[in-house]
Amino acid sequence: MLSIQHISKQFDTVKALTDVSFDVPNGQILGLIGQNGAGKSTTFHSILNFIKYDGSITWQGHPLSADDFDTIGYLPEERSLMTKLTIEQQIVYLARLKNKSAKDIRPRIDDWLGRFAVKGTRKSRINDLSKGNQQKVQLICTLIHHPKLLILDEPFSGLDPVNADLLKQAILNARDDGAAIIFSSHDMENVSALCDHLVMLRKGEMVLNGTLNEVRSQFGKTELYVTTDWSATRLATLPGVADVETRQPGQYLLHLTDPAVGPDIFAELTQGHYIEEFSQQPPTLDEIFRMKVGEDHA
Amino acid sequence: MRKTWVVTFETYLRQIKSWSFLFMVLGPFLMIGLTIGISYLSANSASSSKQVAVISTSQPLRRDYIKQQDSGLNTKITTVSAAKSAMGKNHLAGYLLLSDNQQQIHADYHGSSQMSSALKAQTQNFLSRYQQAYNYQQAKLTTKQQRLLARTPVLQQHIEKKAGTANLAKTISFWILVTMIYIILITYSTIAAQEIASDKGTKIMEIIFSSTTATSYFVGKIAGILLVILTQIVIYLLGGWAAFQFAMNSASLKPLITQYQSLIDTVLHNLLSINLVYLFLGVIIYTLLAAYSGAVVAKAEDASKAAQPVIMLGVFGFFATFPFQNNMDALLVKILSYVPFFSSYFMPMRIINGTVNGWEQTISLIVLLAAIALFAGYIGSQYQRLMLQTDNHSFWQHLLHGWRHQS
Repeated sequence: MLSIQHISKQFDTVKALTDVSFDVPNGQILGLIGQNGAGKSTTFHSILNFIKYDGSITWQGHPLSADDFDTIGYLPEERSLMTKLTIEQQIVYLARLKNKSAKDIRPRIDDWLGRFAVKGTRKSRINDLSKGNQQKVQLICTLIHHPKLLILDEPFSGLDPVNADLLKQAILNARDDGAAIIFSSHDMENVSALCDHLVMLRKGEMVLNGTLNEVRSQFGKTELYVTTDWSATRLATLPGVADVETRQPGQYLLHLTDPAVGPDIFAELTQGHYIEEFSQQPPTLDEIFRMKVGEDHA
Repeated sequence: MRKTWVVTFETYLRQIKSWSFLFMVLGPFLMIGLTIGISYLSANSASSSKQVAVISTSQPLRRDYIKQQDSGLNTKITTVSAAKSAMGKNHLAGYLLLSDNQQQIHADYHGSSQMSSALKAQTQNFLSRYQQAYNYQQAKLTTKQQRLLARTPVLQQHIEKKAGTANLAKTISFWILVTMIYIILITYSTIAAQEIASDKGTKIMEIIFSSTTATSYFVGKIAGILLVILTQIVIYLLGGWAAFQFAMNSASLKPLITQYQSLIDTVLHNLLSINLVYLFLGVIIYTLLAAYSGAVVAKAEDASKAAQPVIMLGVFGFFATFPFQNNMDALLVKILSYVPFFSSYFMPMRIINGTVNGWEQTISLIVLLAAIALFAGYIGSQYQRLMLQTDNHSFWQHLLHGWRHQS
């Protein structure tokens, strides 16, 4: 388990992290969200000992040291490979730095290239690959040694939906192998699809921390999805409705001031008759993200 | 250790397989080959037209002249008409017409230009001796009288040997050594600085530092570059040995080598001694400084600027030796032979000239080794921070910040 306890970091006059604490148990995925500059990369750099920080970070119960490097898979935010090498040379070089032998890694390369549908052979030069394919090679370098701690900084950026799905599957496979995984993303859909646990940072401070359901439940079931022949104007007159969004003609999203008004609205809207859609839910992660960012700007 | 070796091997292979390394290693051989080839062609095309024919009605006179003149003569041409014909075809530079009337010797030179000074001097010498023999014979002098007349004045030079004055072997050794140190330092400082700077601020460094320690990576990089240097030196030693073997088996070069054998032995002795240790340690400390310079550049694109401070220091050390090559007793030479970065130039100079004892050499070596250890330790401790930092500060700002950060 990766355990982060009360870490803080200050760069000159800027507070990058303030008293951040969370755990990532083995076989679980934690999503780290936040705006640009919220402190996500600083958190990753602290875990990897790239920077000095206050607080404590432990991996499997002890401070992370050079002995643990072989069990780490790290994907930085910006992609960077040694462009003059071939795919095979690049993968083997980085794997050897993880104490894997070339003999062990070489037979696995074709399988991984196939898994990520990389356009190119093991002998292709990195320089000759498209940006997307370079990114896939970098992902292979991160995963091929079967890390037990996976740190992925914006792994989905620049990937099309098909390749994003391939990556999601690879992350889920690593989780099933028992790896503790922490990743950052701006795409709340990916976070919702993958994460067991969620942490949101804002200006270096932790503003959300919990499972996906716990986080969403904190905000109450204030979102009401309905399909009705009522107009938006008429819906807005219902008690406890703050405002109405038209999703499609006849399909609306009602923002409620109080989750408790749900049954009253149901009674009023249906009048005891069949209604195609009536679904009261907590806000989506995307909405929560916007709300939390908005709080700061308010 | 294993990871350090992985980095060393990768750095070494990348450098060795590059075109620039191939050109760098082959460059001197190509230059020497080209020079020898051009000289050979030029000598061959010009050799016949530089020759001089000797023509005389007195065969003993002609034979004696040819016997004392070992080169530059065409002995096949024996008549004036043949000589004129050869001159017309530019196969002959001229002809010397010798005549003898039993009292006086005449020599007339006919040519398209003046006689060469060497030929003229040798001809005059021959004519004087021949004429003198005639004169003695006709004057009917006794042997004693001949000996008295042959007596010449004596001129001898007595040079006071000054300590620190270089003789020819020392001068050659000095120039070969400082030039070798200079070229290797400048070449590999640039390579080391660019090798490190090209990684600066790239995310690949984050991946690498999540796999191995910065110190292990840094040591691996430096070891890789030192292996490349060693490879080049070994190639040059093998090339030099092959060239020496070729020269020893070459009929035209062997006499030259035999003539200068003692000089060559002395120069080789001066070079293949503790001076090589100074050369190697000098390369290490300059490579470390170059690596540090490479690590403090603002971004990878500035790699070409990275070697500048090291090159400046190397050039300064190189030129600083010039005024002192004949004055090894100067206080500054003594001081600089203990100062790291300069001792690699100045201590070998003093060793070649025999103006330093074993203790002084040992102290200088210890100072140099300690400086290397401290410098490597310092860079190793700063390396991760330097390589991961990305901002827009200039090279010099980074350098100052690096020192401030340490203090």
